Amino acid sequence: MPRSLIRSLIFLSGVMWFGSCNSYRHMQKSQPRENCVLQFKPEFYRVIYKTSADVKKIHISGLLIIKKMSDNSTRILFTNEMGFPFFDFGFGADSGFTVYQITPDMNKKYLIKTLRKDFELILFRNMDSTSSYTLKDSQLVYHAYPQTGGGINYYVTDIPCRHLVKMQRASEKKPVVEASFPGNIYGNEPDSILIRHLNFNFTISLKKITGLAAE
Amino acid sequence: MFRSLMLVGLFFLCLSSRGQYPGYTEMKNTESFKKSFIQSTATTESLQADFIQEKTMTMLSEKMVSSGKFCFRKKDRLRMEYLQPYTYLLILNDGKIYVKDGQKENKISAGSNPVFRQVNRILIDCVSGNMLDNPDFQYRIFENAGSWLIEFKPMAKNLKELYKNINIVLDKKDFTATAIGMYDATGDKTVIRFQNKELNAQIPDSQFNIP
Repeated sequence: MPRSLIRSLIFLSGVMWFGSCNSYRHMQKSQPRENCVLQFKPEFYRVIYKTSADVKKIHISGLLIIKKMSDNSTRILFTNEMGFPFFDFGFGADSGFTVYQITPDMNKKYLIKTLRKDFELILFRNMDSTSSYTLKDSQLVYHAYPQTGGGINYYVTDIPCRHLVKMQRASEKKPVVEASFPGNIYGNEPDSILIRHLNFNFTISLKKITGLAAE
Repeated sequence: MFRSLMLVGLFFLCLSSRGQYPGYTEMKNTESFKKSFIQSTATTESLQADFIQEKTMTMLSEKMVSSGKFCFRKKDRLRMEYLQPYTYLLILNDGKIYVKDGQKENKISAGSNPVFRQVNRILIDCVSGNMLDNPDFQYRIFENAGSWLIEFKPMAKNLKELYKNINIVLDKKDFTATAIGMYDATGDKTVIRFQNKELNAQIPDSQFNIP
C-alpha cells in the first residue's frame, strides 16, 4: 500500500476519532433558559415502580419506591418482589446523600456512586444556574449543568421547549448515560423511566404500578 | 423517690419480660413441641396455598399488598407465583433459582448471590420444618390457644445485617405455616399469610421445572 494512502488513512481516522470523541463540538453555545428545563422537573410524592435492571446478562427485578419526605428530602428504596431489600437511599432537600441500607452484594463504592448519579439526573438535582449554559443544534437544545464532582448533566428539549426529549449524564466530551420519561406524565409524575448506560451494558427501566398500596 | 423509680423500673421490666407478641406466651419446655413438629412435618409431602404478602415500610404510610399462589414439594422444591398487582415467578429446585419477571427470565446458580439464596432457603425451611435445625438461627417458641409462633434470630453476619428476626406462625391443628414474617434490621417488615392450604396434594413436576 502506498505510503501516502497510509498517511491519508491515518489522518482520516484521526479526524474521525477526534470528531467522534466530542459529541457536543458541533453545537453552538447560547444563553441559558432555566425556566425551560424546570417545567419538566418530576415530582415524586409517593410512587411505586415495577423495576428491572439488566447488567450484561444478569437481570434483576423488583419494586422501586420514590417518596418525598416531610423534610423535602427524597427516599428511593428498591426491594425485590418478595420484600427482600436491595437498597434504600436518601437524597437531601438541597444536597447530601445517605445510604440507609444496602444488601452486602451491592455494597460496592462504584455501584453506589453510579446509582446515585443516575438518580440525581432523573431527580433534576445539582442544577446550579450560575454555571449552566445551553448548546443548540438544528433540532434540539441541550441545557447543560456542570456537576461539582465532574461531568455535565444535560436536559435536552426541542427548540420551542415544549418537550423534554431526553436527559444525559456526560463527560466533557460525550454522553455516558441517557435517560428519558417515555410514557405519560401525570402531574409531573412520569409513569415510565428509562436509564441506559452507553459505555457498558446497564439498563434500568421503571414502570409505575397502581393497586399495590393499601391503608 | 428512689422507691418510686424502682417500682416504675420493675413495671417496665415485667412488661418487657412478657414478650413482644400480644396474646402469646413463651414456652419453657419445647421438647414435646419439637417432637410433635418433626413427626408432623415428616408426613407432609407437599403444600399448596394462596398467599397474601404485606410489606410494611417505615417510610411509607401504606402497606404494599401483593398476592399469588404458593407450592412446596419435598424435599426442596418451591414455587411462588405473584399474580396481583404484578406478575413474578420464583422457582427453587435442587439448589437452583429461577426467576421470571414479565417476559424476562433469570437463572441464578447456587454459587451466586448467596444472601438471596439464603433468604429463599429460609422459606423452604419454614414450610418443610427444617428451620429448627438451621445453625444460622437461634429460636424461641411462643404459643396461644390456636397457634405457635417461632421467632428466629439470625446468627450469621450477612443475615443479621438484613433481618432482626424471622417469625413463623404455625397452626396447632396441622403444624402448617399460617404466616411467615420477615422483620428487617431497618424496622420494615414483610408478612406472607397463607390461605386455602391444601396438604399433600399431587403437584406435578412441571410446576417446578426450570427451563
